Formats: sequence, C-alpha cells, structure tokens
Amino acid sequence: MKGIIFAFIGGACITLQGVANARISQDIGTWQAATITQLTGFIMALAILLFVRDGKKQGFKKVNPLYLTGGALAAFIIFSEVTAIQHVGVTLTISALLIAQLFMTFMIDSNGWFGVVKQKMRLPQFIGIGMMIAGVLILKL
Amino acid sequence: MIIGIILALVAGALVGLQNIFNSKVNEHTGSWSTTTLVLGMGFIASLIMGLITQGTGMFTLQHMQPWYWFSGVIGVGVVICLVQATKLLGATFAIAIVLTSQLGFALLWDSLGWMGLEKVPFNLNQLLGVLVIVGGILVFKLGGRGEKGGQETAAADKKRQTALGTK
Repeated sequence: MKGIIFAFIGGACITLQGVANARISQDIGTWQAATITQLTGFIMALAILLFVRDGKKQGFKKVNPLYLTGGALAAFIIFSEVTAIQHVGVTLTISALLIAQLFMTFMIDSNGWFGVVKQKMRLPQFIGIGMMIAGVLILKL
Repeated sequence: MIIGIILALVAGALVGLQNIFNSKVNEHTGSWSTTTLVLGMGFIASLIMGLITQGTGMFTLQHMQPWYWFSGVIGVGVVICLVQATKLLGATFAIAIVLTSQLGFALLWDSLGWMGLEKVPFNLNQLLGVLVIVGGILVFKLGGRGEKGGQETAAADKKRQTALGTK
C-alpha cells in the first residue's frame, strides 16, 4: 500500500512539474523557467547527495561521456513540454508524451541500441500502443 | 494544435532516450549522484540555450514570484517517490501506477484550470479517452512478453526507475 502511495504521488509530481513550469514560463520565459527549476533542483539534490553519499565518485569515469551528458536533453524536454501544454493543455500533452516515451523505449529495447539487452516487442505491447493512440483520438473527438 | 502535439511527441521521445542514458549512469553510481549530474547538465544546457536565443535579456526576470525558486524541489520529490515505490512494488508495477497517476492528474488540473492555465472543460470524451490510454499503459507494461521476456522487462524497468523523474 505504501508503495502504491509513493508511485501515485510520484506521478502527480511529474505532471505538477510540467504544470508549474508552464505557469512560471508565462511570467519569466521558458528558458528562464527551465534554468531556474533545474538550478534549484540541482542544489537540493547535491545537498542530499552530500548527506547520503550513495555514489562512488570513480563510477562516473566508467560511464561513456555521451551518457553523462544525457541530462542536457532536459532543457529541450522542458521547452517542448511547456510549449505543448500552452498550446493543447495538460491532458493531451501528457498523453502524447507518454506514447512517444514508451514507443522510444521499445524501439531502443527491440533494436538493442546503446548496448541494452535486446527484447522483442510482443502482441501486448502493440495492442497497448494502439489503445493509447485510440485514447488520444477519443480525447480529441 | 498540431504544433503542440508534435512538441509533446518530441518531448516524450527525448524522455525515453534520456531514461536510457540516465540508467547507464545509474549502473555505475547511485540514484542521487545520477540525479545531481542530470539536473546540473540540464541547468547548464538551459542557461546556454537562453543566452543564445535572448542574450543578456535572459537575466531579466519579469514578474518573478518567490515560489518559482523552489519549483526544483518537485523534481527531487519525484526521485524520492520513485525510488521508494520501485523498492516496495517492483519496477514494472511501480511505473504502471506512476504513468496512470500522471494522466489522472493531468485531467484533474486541466479541468480545474489550475495555476492560471487555460481551463479545458471536463467532458465524458476526456474521461473515456484517459481510461482507454490507461488501459493501453497497463496492457503495454503488464502484458506478458513470454516468461523470459517478462523478467527482462522487469530488470530493464528496474534500472530505469530513477531516470523517469530526473527530467
């Protein structure tokens, strides 16, 4: 039960992030909002990191530099998400976003890109994506 | 309309890509090391993009409200919740609930027109649409991929647990 509550609140916070960023962008601009929200998030995470010390610093050296810079994608994610929310609202934005996200993950998994273990797309995954797209069409009826 | 949907699709594809990259970092470090790095990189990239597009105008913050400074805390809350949920429920089940909750709250906040966003009136189509999408997520995530496939999915999901929240 506790796990379900954490997952539930976690999901709420992810959407809240998008909504808050859209709101803040209206006032100070989208790149500004993305910069500020990630700066304060970075400072908080750093404070927690210094407290829990979960990482082995040497670990970073073992990671391909491409993957280390993946965080930079967030700038474009926030910009696109915020602009989408302002154009088509939260529900449609999150729906389209999740479809593309799951689809991308499964393209990577089924092709074994970036050295991930290759996995086959099976019928349930095709049906799932189909249902999600159908859902978006219903939203727009 | 169409531009909004295209941008949302781009954002989603990038989230999927970033989750993979973050999980690669997470394999060698820890959740908080990964989160700190990812947010730091995102901060630098946003700052650079702002400077390129607006020059020093980037630093004029009109109508700045004090609470805007604390919005980053939400992202940290996401990581805490996802790490705990994954530990307690297993990754696949946790992610299925997270995605469902994301959509539910999207619908709620649209219909409330919360935070000064344009109100999207709630109607039956929207409820039905969201329910069908949630059904799709559940089939996609929990639908078997063969015995071995199911285990692999769970293992891959587990690695990506924290990655979800750090965008």
